[in-house]
Amino acid sequence: MESGQDAAVLRPLPLADEASAGFWDAARDGRLAIQRCATCRRWNHAPSLACPGCGSLDLGYEDVSGKGTLFSWTIIQEAPAPGFRDRLPLIVGIVELAEQPHLLLAANLLEIAPEDLRLGMALEVVFEAVTADVTLPQFRPVKG
Amino acid sequence: MWAFSGKIAVAGIGYSALTRRAERPLAALAVDAVDAALADAGITRKQLDGLSTSPGMPRYGGAKGSVEGIDVVNPWYLSELLGTHHHLAWTGSTNAMVTQGFMEAAMAIASGVCTHVIVYRALHVPPGSYVNYESQYASGQEQFMAPYGFSGPPSWAATIVRRYFEKFGYSRKDFARYIVDNRANTQANPNGFWRGKPIVEDDYINARMIADPMSILDCDIPVDGCAALLLTSTERARDLKQKPALITGFAAGTHPAPYGIPMTLEDLWTGAEQVAERLWAATGLGPKDMDVGQLYDGFAPFVYIWLEGLGIVPKGEGLAFLRDGEGSLTGKFPLNTGGGALGEGRLHGMTQLAESVIQVTDRGGARQVAGASRSIATISNGLTKSTAFVISRDSC
Repeated sequence: MESGQDAAVLRPLPLADEASAGFWDAARDGRLAIQRCATCRRWNHAPSLACPGCGSLDLGYEDVSGKGTLFSWTIIQEAPAPGFRDRLPLIVGIVELAEQPHLLLAANLLEIAPEDLRLGMALEVVFEAVTADVTLPQFRPVKG
Repeated sequence: MWAFSGKIAVAGIGYSALTRRAERPLAALAVDAVDAALADAGITRKQLDGLSTSPGMPRYGGAKGSVEGIDVVNPWYLSELLGTHHHLAWTGSTNAMVTQGFMEAAMAIASGVCTHVIVYRALHVPPGSYVNYESQYASGQEQFMAPYGFSGPPSWAATIVRRYFEKFGYSRKDFARYIVDNRANTQANPNGFWRGKPIVEDDYINARMIADPMSILDCDIPVDGCAALLLTSTERARDLKQKPALITGFAAGTHPAPYGIPMTLEDLWTGAEQVAERLWAATGLGPKDMDVGQLYDGFAPFVYIWLEGLGIVPKGEGLAFLRDGEGSLTGKFPLNTGGGALGEGRLHGMTQLAESVIQVTDRGGARQVAGASRSIATISNGLTKSTAFVISRDSC
């Protein structure tokens, strides 16, 4: 199956909520925005209704650099949902964003082979439009 | 040290048949397990006055809901099946692991609310693949994982193992000895799903990969079945059929993972250290006082993370300890002596508790560790909702 609408509907799509809408809205615009506490300035992902650091409810979104390093990864060999059957093996990376230690985000790693993955390697965000409404931030190695 | 240390005991163990797809509904298996535990202790349904469980069915994006008696067995429902609903004093139902329900049962007895409480866990294997994200949408925490194919718990565990391998220079080969010996322990466990099916190292090395480096043999086997434990006061237990296994102490963890990621190596360590600190404070004991360990192996790599978090070996050395056979039946610290959940079947921690009871009451047969006086059981991965227990011989 080619990528595009048919395959896309078989992949689970994110359903944005009050806390997460800012993340997905930014992704659709080609920006990586992460929730940040206005009180203690701590970055927070996944977004939540209160800051896990200080408990403040005053949270907003700010763009980040889109740079990070590879914290860990797995090579998915069995499709976890029907829409991934033609995408195996699928690399899921845990990316530590540059803005804050232990600010972690899961994404697929693109433009790299499993055997070339290295702990701590430099990564940058890219955007994959899955449907007209949904864009997923993904990551690839920083070139050069 | 709490006031009721050693005053509550496990007095009976009961298992239903553990099979991949049972012909009878889950509720019938739960009744089998409860009756077996009562018979083991030598009491009747009429004497039972408490039931405790965690009834939840773990599903990840599953389309179908949970049906009472088929997918789940809640205590109020089981009570009706047993005909105990007229005289039960308390039922407990936690949304954490069932082992939290075990803690609540001990407290119900200590407080005088109940005299004989059954803690049970009934688990059903749904049709099809256990982990299959069938929903088109992902909400809540899953919205940051399922769209990336990161919805299966084995893939979460895989990121722990990968980071551990990379940091300390291990590979899957280093885990083969533990897996093979664990399966050997299972051969002496009458309840073991994998009884009669020993394996060799190559079986592990060549095992079907789910989410590299997690293979099918790194995961416990989902079963249809139920295990039950009967708790009562130690004083009362001494008058029953079996030797009592004393609950010396327990602890629960509250350390969360970063919300966007289900677990990280560092958070598992921190969580396990927190649970350990609380357990040693509750019991006045330490790692050197333990004779055997029943460490949670829903995903087997958690065993070496727990070894490190509990302070039994330094960080990074847990897998070497297992590679060298020190966790085997003949090693320095025998682990999962009945084969754990990996060999016995997925019962969400009941295996670790039951095997602790078995070891400190000399009921282990060919897998008995001679004179084992204290067993530590840990359940879950170290993060919030994890629990740990010290179960001791009556003479301790």
